[in-house]
Formats: sequence, C-alpha cells, structure tokens
Amino acid sequence: MSLNVDRASMAFSFKGGMLPMTVMELTSADPERIREQLAGKLSQSPAFFQHTPVVLSVEKLDEPHLALERICAVCRAHKLLPVAVRGGTDPVKQSAWALGLGWFPPQEIKSRNLESVAAVSEAPVDKAEIPVGAASGGRIYRGTVRSGQQVSAQEGDLVVIGAVNAGAEVLAAGSVHVYGALRGRALAGIHGDHQAGIFCRELHAELLSVAGNYKRLEDIDPRLLGQSVQVQLSDDQLSIASLA
Amino acid sequence: MAKIIVVTSGKGGVGKTTSAAAIATGLALRGKKTVVIDFDVGLRNLDLIMGCERRVVYDLVNVIQGEAGLNQALIRDKRVDNLHILPASQTRDKDALTSEGVEKILDMLGKDFDYIICDSPAGIERGAQLAMYFADEAVVVTNPEVSSVRDSDRILGLLGSKTRRAERNQDPVKEHLLITRYNPSRVDDGDMLNLDDIQEILAIDLLGLIPESEAVLRASNQGIPVTHDAKSDAGQAYTDTVSRLLGEDVPLRFHEFQKKGLLSRMFGGGRR
Ligand SMILES: Nc1ncnc2c1ncn2[C@@H]1O[C@H](COP(=O)(O)OP(=O)(O)O)[C@@H](O)[C@H]1O
Ligand SMILES: [Mg+2]
Repeated sequence: MSLNVDRASMAFSFKGGMLPMTVMELTSADPERIREQLAGKLSQSPAFFQHTPVVLSVEKLDEPHLALERICAVCRAHKLLPVAVRGGTDPVKQSAWALGLGWFPPQEIKSRNLESVAAVSEAPVDKAEIPVGAASGGRIYRGTVRSGQQVSAQEGDLVVIGAVNAGAEVLAAGSVHVYGALRGRALAGIHGDHQAGIFCRELHAELLSVAGNYKRLEDIDPRLLGQSVQVQLSDDQLSIASLA
Repeated sequence: MAKIIVVTSGKGGVGKTTSAAAIATGLALRGKKTVVIDFDVGLRNLDLIMGCERRVVYDLVNVIQGEAGLNQALIRDKRVDNLHILPASQTRDKDALTSEGVEKILDMLGKDFDYIICDSPAGIERGAQLAMYFADEAVVVTNPEVSSVRDSDRILGLLGSKTRRAERNQDPVKEHLLITRYNPSRVDDGDMLNLDDIQEILAIDLLGLIPESEAVLRASNQGIPVTHDAKSDAGQAYTDTVSRLLGEDVPLRFHEFQKKGLLSRMFGGGRR
C-alpha cells in the first residue's frame, strides 16, 4: 500500500536500458576533415541526420588533446548530436565533462569474441572441418529450417547450414550458428549458459534469446537487419554486433 | 506405377484447384493417362473447374466406403481422351476419408494411369495431410505475398516429415514451386513479393510462374481448364509448367512487366 503511494509520488525511476546508438569512430582529429566527410554523407543520406545522437569514439586516435568543442560543433552543424565520448586520455575525459558530454571507457574486446568471429567468418563447407560444438554433443543440421519446425541441441552448439525461416525455431544449450538467413526464432543458452551466443549470416530474426534474455524483432536496431552479426550477453543485456 | 503428384499450399484461395485442373489437363493433352482427385471433401469445386459437375454420381467417399466401385465414380473428361476426374463429396464429413481407403484407391488407380494429381484442401490438418501422404512429387502453389509464402514454407516442412516417403526413409518427395497470380507491375511497385525473394525463402526449384489473368476467371466460369485457352498468358504458362514437369527445359515467361507497345495499344492486342 504505502509502496504504491510512494511510487505514485516519485518524479522518476531509473531503468537499465540498451538503446541503439551510432558510434562515430574517429580516425582523424582534424575538424575540417570531419566536416568535409560529413557534408558528403549528408547529401547521400539526409534521412540519417535528424539530430541523431552519436557517441564519439576516439579510441583509434593517438592524441592526448583534442579540439573536442570544435568537433562537436561540426557534428551539430550537420544535425548529429554528440551525447558522449568513448575512450581517450584523462584530459579528453575532462573536456568531455566540461562540454556536458558523458564519457565511456574504451570498449574492451574480449578474446572470446574474437575467437567466435574467426569461427564464423570461415564457414565450414565440409562436415569434417566443422570446428564448433559438434564434439561436445552439439548438432549440425543441413537444410532449411521451415515455418513450424523446431531444431534443437540439448547439449553443445547447434549449427544450421541453411536458413531458419520465419515461424521456425532453433535452440541450443550452447551457441546457435546459422550459416544462412535467420528469419525465425533463435534461442541460445537454453539451460542458462550466459557465455553462449547467436551467430548468423543475415539477421531478420523474430526473436533472439541468450540465457533467457531476449530481444524481439521490434527491439532490434533496423540498421543491423540483413547484416551478418553476433549476439552475446553483456551485463545481462543482449548486444548485437555486426560481423562485417 | 503412376506418379502421384499433390497440389498443395497451406493457404486457401491461392490457385490449387485451378492449377490441379490445368496441370492434369496439360498432362493429358501430352498423351499421359491422367486422373485428378478432389480431396477437398465438403468444399468440392474441382468438378466445377473441370466442367463436369452435372455428371457427378458417386464420389471419393462412396468408393472408400464401398458404396460404389472406382469405375463408377471416375468421370471421363469430355474434351481430352486420357483424362479422368474423381470428385469429392459435397455432403460427407471430412472424417470419412481414411488413410487405408485413400491408399487402396491410389493403388488401384496406379495400375491404369501415368499420373495421379491430388488437389489438396487448404490448411495443414488431416485433409491436407492425407492428400500429400502418398505423394511422390509436390507442386507447392504460392502467391507473391508474405502470408502465402509462410504457409508454403510450413507445408514444405510437412512434406519433409509427414509423408510416406519421409516416414519410410525413402527418397524425399520431389518439391516444385509454382507461383501463381503473379502481377509483374504490382511486384515492380513493391506491393507484392518478387520472384527472387520467394525463391530465396522457399529454396526449392521453380516449376512455373502463372500470371494474374482474366483468362483464369473466364475459364473457371465456363468450366474449361485454362490450359485449353492456348492464346491466353495463363494457358501458355500452364503449358510451360507441364513441359517442365515432364523434364523439358523451357524458359520462364510472364515474370516481367511488359509495357504495351503503341501498336498493341491501338489495336487492343497484347495480354488477354
Ligand atoms: N492466375 C490467376 N489469375 C487470376 N485469378 C486466379 C488465378 N489463379 C486462381 N485465380 C482465382 O483465385 C480463386 C481461388 O482459386 P482456386 O484455384 O480455387 O484456389 P484454391 O484451390 O487454392 O483455394 C479463384 O477465384 C480463381 O479463379
Ligand atoms: Mg481448392
């Protein structure tokens, strides 16, 4: 009772969230060069530049000081809204804060992810070459998984050499690998393995789930659709990254 | 032994009965002894499309229940020599079809005919499953729309698991894609799925493409399968389809939007 009253009188509540966010990976610190490139992009796809929030990633830059204020001004002039900076030295962090921007630590690239990427980009053609899961009780399915069909691996990984069509469902105790279009539902880590992932050649999935954390098609950033991606859990949130 | 071909789709109203009648007619015109069976008990309309509704005495269910002999129920087509129709019952309950009964009839027909065409009811229930169960080949009829493609995909899953060939671990049912009611200009406008998208999703061989055509409506009102209308686009497309079913290599037609030329506009020719 009292809880409800309290809640009703609260001005806000904090929610964890994963929002799709464009990262602008800077490879030059020169505001002029950034301006030139932005001007070109703007004329190609004006629809993208609608006060789109972006995170400026400076991880690839090797400069202790940045003309951050000018870079932000160039972005805003092209209808991009910098909301945070990722990576960079301490002075960069300080100037981000001074400009009212957030700051994120550089993205850690887990070695595990790298291994998975390697496995995916070299799609096995021959049964004998298949490196994943199969040895630990996984399953390899050849052909199209069609609407109404369910294919599962109760142990290890599931490898589908073909497409998973809308209305079909693929499940695995370990990871799900689809060497084709994923249009149906894919559930990895069905017994709770948080390390499991979903990998596919072409993302159109109706549902993605890793260890019970899921995203519906509606929740997926449309820019990732059609791409070859990996899906993994980080901090109990599904993150989808392009493999391209 | 006859080849048993089921014409199926999952979704209703996509052109199964039209296609079953047109393909059966086309095969008979090519000299193959052909019988086409209506499995749509309760909603029979193959006899209407074939123009023999006034000659129906006995039907599939009568034969299964031993009330009539097979030869009493078979209707000989008026136009083509080698063609017979086995109609469905309008009045009986769907449960009157039994697997043993169907098998017995197919075995008997198999001795006399080259091709047995089974016109499946819509859906994925018993009736549709019985129509496909004994098939050697399947013609999956699909319209260029998302729901139809989805249902065809579902049917393809059943063909791979719920057929005699699948259960006995024999060679799988040979699956053919037949796209019907294709309207190239609406495809170009993005209102309908295009040929490549459908093929990519269903991932089976394309047997034929039948354009959306007024000739089909005319044919069904007259009770003359559209294959007989050799001047029409749909008639020609079904003839091509039959040739491919017989293993011939025939180029695809009617899949591209043809702007009418000045001459045909002036003289009213072109598509019928
Ligand atoms: N190629 C076509 N062009 C125009 N109308 C068509 C075509 N194919 C089928 N139709 C029409 O669609 C409707 C359903 O066809 P039918 O063969 O009875 O489908 P089903 O047996 O799958 O229910 C009928 O009115 C038929 O005339
Ligand atoms: Mg029908």
